[in-house]
Amino acid sequence: MNLVFRLAWRNLWRHPKRTWLTTGAMVFSNTLLVFMIALQFGMYGLMIDNTLQAFTGHMQIQAPGYIDDQKMRQTVPDVVPLADSLRDQLGSDTIAARGMAFALASSEDRSYGIAVFGVEPRFEQNVSTIPSLVTEGRFLEGTDAAEIVIGAALARNLKVAPGDELTLLGSGRDGSFAAVVVRIAGVFESGVADFDRSIAEIPLGLFQDVFYMEGSGHQVVVNAPAIDAVPELEARVAALLPADGNLVLHDWDALQPGLKQAIKADMSSAFFMYGILVILVAFSVLNTQLMSVLERTHEFGIVMALGLRPGRLGRLVLLETAIMGILGLLLGAIAGGVLTYYLGITGFSYPGMEEMAAKFNLPARFYPQVTLPTLLIGPGIVFAFTILAALYPALRLHRLHPVEAMRAV
Amino acid sequence: MSAVTCVDLCKTYRQGEVDIKALDHVSIEIAEGGFVCLSAPSGGGKTTLLNAIGGLDKPDSGEVYIAGRRIDNLSKGELADLRLRQIGFVFQAFNLIPVLTARENVEFVMQVQGVPAADRGQKALEILEEVGLEGLEDRRPADMSGGQQQRVAVARAIVSQPALILADEPTANLDSKTADGLMDLFRHLNEHHNTTFVIATHDKRVMAYAKRLIRMLDGRIVEDIDQDAS
Amino acid sequence: MHRVAILLRLAWRNLWRNHRRTAIMLMAVVLGAWAMIFMTALMRGMVTEVVKDGISALPGHVQVHHPDFSDDPSIANLIPRSDADLQRRFADAGFVQWATRVRVPAVITSEYDSRGVTLLGIDPQQERGLTFVDYDSVDGRFLESTDDPGIVIGAKLARTLNTELGKRIVLMSQDPDNDIADRGFRIVGIFHANVTAFEEAFVFAGKSTVQELLRIGDRVSEVVVLGEDYRDVEPVYARTLALVDGDVKVERWNELDPYLGSMLGVMDGFVLVWIVVIFLALSFGLVNTLVMAVFERVREIGLMLALGMRPVNILGQIVIESLMLLALGLAIGTALSWATVQPIKDGIDISIVGEGLDMWGMSSTLYPELLLSDVILANVVVLILGFLASLSPAWRASHYEPIEAITKV
Repeated sequence: MNLVFRLAWRNLWRHPKRTWLTTGAMVFSNTLLVFMIALQFGMYGLMIDNTLQAFTGHMQIQAPGYIDDQKMRQTVPDVVPLADSLRDQLGSDTIAARGMAFALASSEDRSYGIAVFGVEPRFEQNVSTIPSLVTEGRFLEGTDAAEIVIGAALARNLKVAPGDELTLLGSGRDGSFAAVVVRIAGVFESGVADFDRSIAEIPLGLFQDVFYMEGSGHQVVVNAPAIDAVPELEARVAALLPADGNLVLHDWDALQPGLKQAIKADMSSAFFMYGILVILVAFSVLNTQLMSVLERTHEFGIVMALGLRPGRLGRLVLLETAIMGILGLLLGAIAGGVLTYYLGITGFSYPGMEEMAAKFNLPARFYPQVTLPTLLIGPGIVFAFTILAALYPALRLHRLHPVEAMRAV
Repeated sequence: MSAVTCVDLCKTYRQGEVDIKALDHVSIEIAEGGFVCLSAPSGGGKTTLLNAIGGLDKPDSGEVYIAGRRIDNLSKGELADLRLRQIGFVFQAFNLIPVLTARENVEFVMQVQGVPAADRGQKALEILEEVGLEGLEDRRPADMSGGQQQRVAVARAIVSQPALILADEPTANLDSKTADGLMDLFRHLNEHHNTTFVIATHDKRVMAYAKRLIRMLDGRIVEDIDQDAS
Repeated sequence: MHRVAILLRLAWRNLWRNHRRTAIMLMAVVLGAWAMIFMTALMRGMVTEVVKDGISALPGHVQVHHPDFSDDPSIANLIPRSDADLQRRFADAGFVQWATRVRVPAVITSEYDSRGVTLLGIDPQQERGLTFVDYDSVDGRFLESTDDPGIVIGAKLARTLNTELGKRIVLMSQDPDNDIADRGFRIVGIFHANVTAFEEAFVFAGKSTVQELLRIGDRVSEVVVLGEDYRDVEPVYARTLALVDGDVKVERWNELDPYLGSMLGVMDGFVLVWIVVIFLALSFGLVNTLVMAVFERVREIGLMLALGMRPVNILGQIVIESLMLLALGLAIGTALSWATVQPIKDGIDISIVGEGLDMWGMSSTLYPELLLSDVILANVVVLILGFLASLSPAWRASHYEPIEAITKV
């Protein structure tokens, strides 16, 4: 072991209690940061996945302006051939065409205004979780069959079950009256009450007939294998679209602007809190290192009189801090990792979380995952601030005069 | 009644591999109004005896009585009270509380005793004047000389008029003139207030002031001279 | 008393002996106290806005419905007594405000498009100030009477329906016999809400007009009651309960919207956790400072013990020193947080993440809310925990052996 390192190490343990307390502050903050960041990013991931996978998808091809107004006449012409060719060219099945209209759904007893989606039964399951959430009956089968799947709350309110008939009343693309009688094929239950009360799906072929779409639809949903793969796929899809500007491609951020901003809003408050924690640790380090420099004034005076430069002493102080910082980083990352891992198995929850979570398509218990970034981001920043805090005491050494210093007690 | 009685005191310290007998069957009796010097070379047991009398240290065996009350079996709290109310201390160095002024240091013991502020302030001033520190009341220890600090310590020791004052090498850090002044002060107090003094020292000048001189060696009393009579 | 006085004096003077160390620690406490209180004020402000907006959308603190209404909010579940009867019962009960309303799902159709909405049949006089709509900022006019023939819709809805003030739309719903009930309305007003989702979800028409359209005679869906303070809903709840019979369900706002209901509790929990976490981060530095202070003062502590000061007074002295440091830091930190809240108390614009806030149910202006109770909580928690944290170094100091301490170099 290098002599300077040995010196730094021994200096550190002159006051073991002080060193441990300072390290303790780092370990405490690091543990908390590791756990909080794992929890936070895990939740964001789930929020994105649950929201997008339920229905929206990673990106959609739409007519310009549809994203804001969702008007019937803002259509994607020849939507099924377009989806087919995309599937072909991209070699991907996670692409599906849809049409969307608002309609009044009436059973024998009741009527409700709902959003009716025309979907491709074969492909819808690749871009949406709804087909897999059918709890009664089955999902749609034929592309033209007069059948429908509806949400569980809607089925309850309409007092209907699979096999019953519903009448859909609305207006077609040209504003004319549109009506059809469909048989309920299945009932899905997503667990999000608003969703289960207001959404229904019918085959796209039927949808196009009923609402006078003439082969058009409103959106082609394209899903990437994972959220990270979206930008790359987005570029490929955009390249395949006609250049006339009659179709636009929106990614999930544009489709669900609230999602990213909700995350941003949450992140900014979280980062404020993390920042405070980190600065408090920095204060702790500043205090300790300043004390440790001041009480060694006499000793530093002697070695400076012997010819050691202040710069080297400053590096010694920084090295001491770095050793302490690394100790805090390792112990904190380990403690945080263990805590996160443990809660990843047992699950994490707090009172009131269930109601909060339901609002954001999140489960009531959350299972944070340990990943390398979550382990290192927080402790890494704490380490950086630790070194920063030691700069002042280290630089003070330059002002030290050997003779005066030796006179100090 | 005697001011201090020690019966068969023994105390052994372990220093490294060896046992050191600091007190080896020591018995003494000091009368009220006594002015006693304990003299011994370093490690001779004089500080140990002084601490045992002051209730700062417990003997391994034997009994200690202050004004007729046995103290070697008292609790820490009771000992603290005893020191507070009946015994004054003057140590070799580091006698004063650094954050308090001379006057506040003198008042300290009274304040802990619970003496009202008005009585306290006046009395502290009087005592400081008596020990010759008039005008230095508001200095902190760091701004005073060694002799001045010791005088403040003496002022603090006598201010609540304890019957017994224990001093451990009070002149060790003083020049001879200052030391003489301090001893004159001790004698003066001894004669005018009938305060009993027990002073541990190896300073010849101090021994010259003593009415009674007890020499110790290796934890035993080897000589007990009544100098007043001589 | 005298003893306390000397302890206070000693503690105060000792505190400033190592002024650098004390200053750094003080800065840390100030920062911590500021962060505790300032952050809490921001979060409280957010939650209050969310809850207030939520309550204004419900609206009211207590609502009365048919027992099945919450699962099936439709025409089928009207309150089983006449509006006249309800009016009589509630008129003189001394509520801050109350209203009866018809609330049914409907489909609104312009010449271009249709949407599902919630139709509210209201008495505009009773609703003024109770609903989220500010009558005076409505484009055009708000409804004037219960039999006003016009309709008022939200700005966002007007945009998606491609319609405007003065144009006609058709409302479609069902009557109790499930026959379609539809009628053309002229848009007499367009309202703006601070939560955009409200602009899409609700349309307002006169209560009598709606009753006539739906052929429900003198019946309504709900009674909404406003009390003095949403935090203290019980008196209003009890009074409402006394006014109705067992055939209806009376619910508090936190039952009507569990998300809102859980927020206050979660917030209280969060405030406490935040305060404790900050304190813990501080506590390492605090204990460190005390340990070092005791270490430096071993000899004088020995002296005081030798002079007859009781160990408990030594303990007291160290604890007082610590509490003085904390109290000073808390005072400055509290003042600072008050000072930083002052310039932004009229609201800060956080619309940069506006749509995200919409998702959390928040509007894009944040009014920080500095509650005395939170200030007290932060101060008291820090002092109590600070007291506990100081006990260990103080205990150690008080248990020195006087002669050992005094001879220690």
